Amino acid sequence: MITQPLRIGIVCPYGWDTPGGVQNHIRDLAEYLIAKGHYVSVLAPVIDEDSVPDYVVSAGKPISIPYNGAVARVLFGPIAFARVRSWISSGSFDLLHLHEPAIPSISLLACWAAEGPMVGTFHAAAKKQKVIYAIGPILEPLIEKLSARIAVSEAARSTLTEHLDTDAVVIPNGIYAKRFAHGERVEKWSGNTIGFIGRFEEPRKGLQILLDALPIIARFAPDVRVLVAGPGDSEKVLEDIDMQLRHRFEFLGRISEKEKADLMASIALYVAPNTGGESFGIILAEALAGGSAVVASDIPAFDSLLGHGEFGALFPSENPQELAKIVIDLLREPEKRRALAAKGRTHAQRFDWDVVAEEIFSIYEMSMVGGATVRLASENRAWNRFSTTEWGNQ
Amino acid sequence: MGESVKDLLLVLLLFLLSLWYLSHSATRLDRLHHRVETSWANLDGLLQRRAAVALEIARSTISDPATSLILTAAAHQAREANVQDRSMAESGLSGALGLLLHDEISSTAFIEKDLMRELSELTDKIRVAIALHVDAVNRTQSVRKKFVFRVFRLAGRAPLPVTYEFEADVL
Repeated sequence: MITQPLRIGIVCPYGWDTPGGVQNHIRDLAEYLIAKGHYVSVLAPVIDEDSVPDYVVSAGKPISIPYNGAVARVLFGPIAFARVRSWISSGSFDLLHLHEPAIPSISLLACWAAEGPMVGTFHAAAKKQKVIYAIGPILEPLIEKLSARIAVSEAARSTLTEHLDTDAVVIPNGIYAKRFAHGERVEKWSGNTIGFIGRFEEPRKGLQILLDALPIIARFAPDVRVLVAGPGDSEKVLEDIDMQLRHRFEFLGRISEKEKADLMASIALYVAPNTGGESFGIILAEALAGGSAVVASDIPAFDSLLGHGEFGALFPSENPQELAKIVIDLLREPEKRRALAAKGRTHAQRFDWDVVAEEIFSIYEMSMVGGATVRLASENRAWNRFSTTEWGNQ
Repeated sequence: MGESVKDLLLVLLLFLLSLWYLSHSATRLDRLHHRVETSWANLDGLLQRRAAVALEIARSTISDPATSLILTAAAHQAREANVQDRSMAESGLSGALGLLLHDEISSTAFIEKDLMRELSELTDKIRVAIALHVDAVNRTQSVRKKFVFRVFRLAGRAPLPVTYEFEADVL
């Protein structure tokens, strides 16, 4: 059991200023560890250096490149590598925690540059791609250096096993369950309401599936309404909706964390019709913690988060008829809905930071067995050993 | 003459490159062996602690005399077992602890609750430690099977790491 405070270095591969799941995860984890008394330094690509918290160190401005079918804001190159090296050598860390070390960004560079206790967390879930046969031999020796690998979901774990032939411990993403437990019921959002949160313009978020299901739902539940929150152009989406259904929609725009908790406490159902590209589904954990009953597509990430349907209802992905059936069923039977929500709420405690961060910390402890600390890999080379013994190391 | 110098330089360059590659591969394998050792040390430490907790439980009021007897015997065997017998000994301890965990214990005493919580925390950690160790062993085995590593005997005299049998059914 390690009781003295540790010096932990966390590397974030994506631009700190751009919103994203990985960034949120790192922010929450860093703040949790700092609150526990540890020293934490986060190295990340940063656009505006003045607006970042104290514990974030900039590795330079991120570069936007297309990767895996989306635009990723990452950072690499000789200058970034030099910064990574100097961050490692000046930080005297007990342990490094690298996020997404298989993405071409500073986590990968840090994995290359450092030696010692290192933990890697893999967030992404993707189908097996041919390109892995080309990049696998480059990545494998690097990923091997990690003393422990964490995957945020079973989907991310099987991605890792398929691509890099290595196993990982599954530790889910964290939420602050308490913040969601105290949402206040808002009258105008309650009734037969369906909630949807996310960048609704992205096809993979699946708003279209919900739109297709709505005419059927409205036939059986005449007073149903849909509340959509998240950034995007609502005018454009509304134009495409049938005139008769438009009045059932309300676009809330971006909402705060507090409003999110209130929304989850007020709505009858939270619907996540995502069609893919989701590795974990943090929003479902938040909806469950907020006390809402959840209906989600049966993509692997959601299926495992909802315990194969035990903590929330699942429908076959991209099937509006089935979605409608389940929603109607749950709207008509409040008892069933409440029972599902209650089960989900208990389950959501599993994702609370108090549980998740302790699990991550116990991985830290296990990686540090042996007592070595983090240093630059080049210090380990034969000729360096020779030179330090020959002329002494002041 | 210029041609032959060029050839010589090319051969020299290739030679240096392959030297570098070999040294790089040796470092890689060394690191993997180190990982096997530390992950085993970690697992071993946790198993030792589990045996200690089992002994404490045996001495406490949670267990009846019969259970105490089984637990004490199993914990001692697990502690004293050599590498070959370790697997069976740890499985035996798991079985003995399993009996205890499956019975619903309605103990109200503070110390007993603490012991049981420590045991369940240890069990979770052991599960993770096993996964880490098995991964390190598998990785090392698969790297050592590669051509370069076998031909140049990069593993030296280090024994090939093996996964102990109990690791699959220890819990």
